[in-house]
Amino acid sequence: MLLWIILSLVILSLTVYILQILALRKKLEENYTSQYYPPISVIKPLKGLDDNLFDNLESFCNQDYPEYEVILSLQDYNDPAYRVAEKIKNKYPELVKIIVDNSSNALNPKVKNMIAAYEASQYEHFLISDSNVCVDRNYLRETVILMTPDTGLVTNLIKGVGGKSIGAIFENLQLNSFIILSVSFLDKFLKMPCSIGKSMLMRKKDFEEIGGWNTVKDVLAEDYIIGKLMHAKGKKVVLSNHIIKNVNEYWSLRRFLNRHTRWAKIRWRIAGAKYFTELFSNPVFLSLLVPILCGFSKIPILIFVAVSILKIVLDVYVSRLINLPKSFSDILIPVKDLITAFVWFIPLVSNKINWRDNLYIIGKDTVIIPYERNFSLRLLYNKLKEVLTT
Amino acid sequence: MLLCDFHIHTKYSDGSVELRKVIDIFGQAGFDVIAITDHVVNGDSMIGKLAYKFRLTVTEENFNEYMENIRYEAERAWNKYEMLVIPGVEISKNYISSDRSAHILILDIKEFIPACKSYEAIFLEAKRQDAIVVACHPHNMKGEIRNTLYLWNNRDKYEKYIDAWEIANRDDVFSVVSLRKYPYIANSDFHKPVHLYSWKTLLNCEKTASSVKSCIRHNKGVAITLFRG
Repeated sequence: MLLWIILSLVILSLTVYILQILALRKKLEENYTSQYYPPISVIKPLKGLDDNLFDNLESFCNQDYPEYEVILSLQDYNDPAYRVAEKIKNKYPELVKIIVDNSSNALNPKVKNMIAAYEASQYEHFLISDSNVCVDRNYLRETVILMTPDTGLVTNLIKGVGGKSIGAIFENLQLNSFIILSVSFLDKFLKMPCSIGKSMLMRKKDFEEIGGWNTVKDVLAEDYIIGKLMHAKGKKVVLSNHIIKNVNEYWSLRRFLNRHTRWAKIRWRIAGAKYFTELFSNPVFLSLLVPILCGFSKIPILIFVAVSILKIVLDVYVSRLINLPKSFSDILIPVKDLITAFVWFIPLVSNKINWRDNLYIIGKDTVIIPYERNFSLRLLYNKLKEVLTT
Repeated sequence: MLLCDFHIHTKYSDGSVELRKVIDIFGQAGFDVIAITDHVVNGDSMIGKLAYKFRLTVTEENFNEYMENIRYEAERAWNKYEMLVIPGVEISKNYISSDRSAHILILDIKEFIPACKSYEAIFLEAKRQDAIVVACHPHNMKGEIRNTLYLWNNRDKYEKYIDAWEIANRDDVFSVVSLRKYPYIANSDFHKPVHLYSWKTLLNCEKTASSVKSCIRHNKGVAITLFRG
């Protein structure tokens, strides 16, 4: 009986996975046309050295686009990214501005980085783009096409490229399966607004109408909150099928685990009970339950192996869809799926996150509170004080 | 100040990364000056013979190809990243005893120098080529079974030939160099990408090979920094 229940879950999970692939296919088939090319301020918050940083930044300076500016924003002249930013500015002096400012009191370090750059930007349309993103020459043209009058935010699909270390390989496998597929599925079939912080194009007017930086300065998932508020305001949040590259070459396994634990905690805080449905997009993990619960005999192990092979085949197909070259690292897909299944459980027992060298506690709607030693005791003390003084 | 690393290995010896990729790793990270310094190992000891057997050394036979490829990559690095690439080698006299072993960087090398020559002969040849001589990791390093102590133990004899001593190498700092007031630089001894994050040299000079060499020789406007990503 148990075997049949788990088997049904595995089949359901594979079906959901195939539906997600269908969603991606449909997304990639979309075609848009427009001749609307407003001037754009590209804001790139920098912190530390990302893999391929020079090329990532340079790819924004070689856009086939009539009028735009690139603003590189940092909090500190001693940041190693500052030297790279300076070299880019020297190479493209007309196009690039560098803003160094640490005056904001925002808790979200990325938002803290961007506020001064936003104020220094000159155009009505602005695009927030992470430093680990590399784009093709037609990126701005193909993204802005979707910025119709009723649209508040345009975001892009992402794919991971360049993995050379084990952490980077896992990172890219996860981006090129779970992340790209769930985003496409939410957008295409569930019609849910889905914004990705790696690339967000907006109008200043709309952004300020939803409260501007003040509404997102102390939350972890500023991209999600911006998308949610735009949607609530009646503006469309649109996912472009122009895929941007997230270059991850030399990540450590620890960094991979840290990022996906943080993202899992964000999803848990945002989705609540719906977070449990995520397990259905991990057929490898579900099929491992067969031998664990029914014994490590021939048939349960065969089921696990068969599902793992099928998952590899499906993910290789997804790689083809998004124009990734063949890679031997694809055989690590089941290992990556089992690691991410383990990561999935962490948000259920911990709400502490480490981001850009800062420790936070993550609350409802991803509101962040700086983590201090004896955090729970302090919280209890503050509550007691509040009760006694009111 | 120019951000510099003068001690970098590639697949020409025991590094794990191809020359072209090494150039890109440093270029992408915003470096101003680097030196490629693959090992030239002595063939007169057991350890040296193994290095030849496993092709972990630049040899007289492939030296010209090595230099040609560095020159090609140097041009690419300058055009793309405005990064100066200086050709070099690390003369590696390896013996079982740490007291007999020594590694010497020859920066801006022009012709092959065999590692089995005497120390004096190597230094004089380097001077003839107007190259910079650096004593590498001259003192005990944490976690190393075999150190390179020969030059430090014989410093009174050789200090006149040495333009700079490595005061820091990767994560180690050799305070003895500063106590003796020797001219200094700091390097990563890069073998794999994670070594990018290590001690480096900052130079206050023009971004040309001659200015960089002069700055190291006179050891004015030199600082070290622990580079973290």
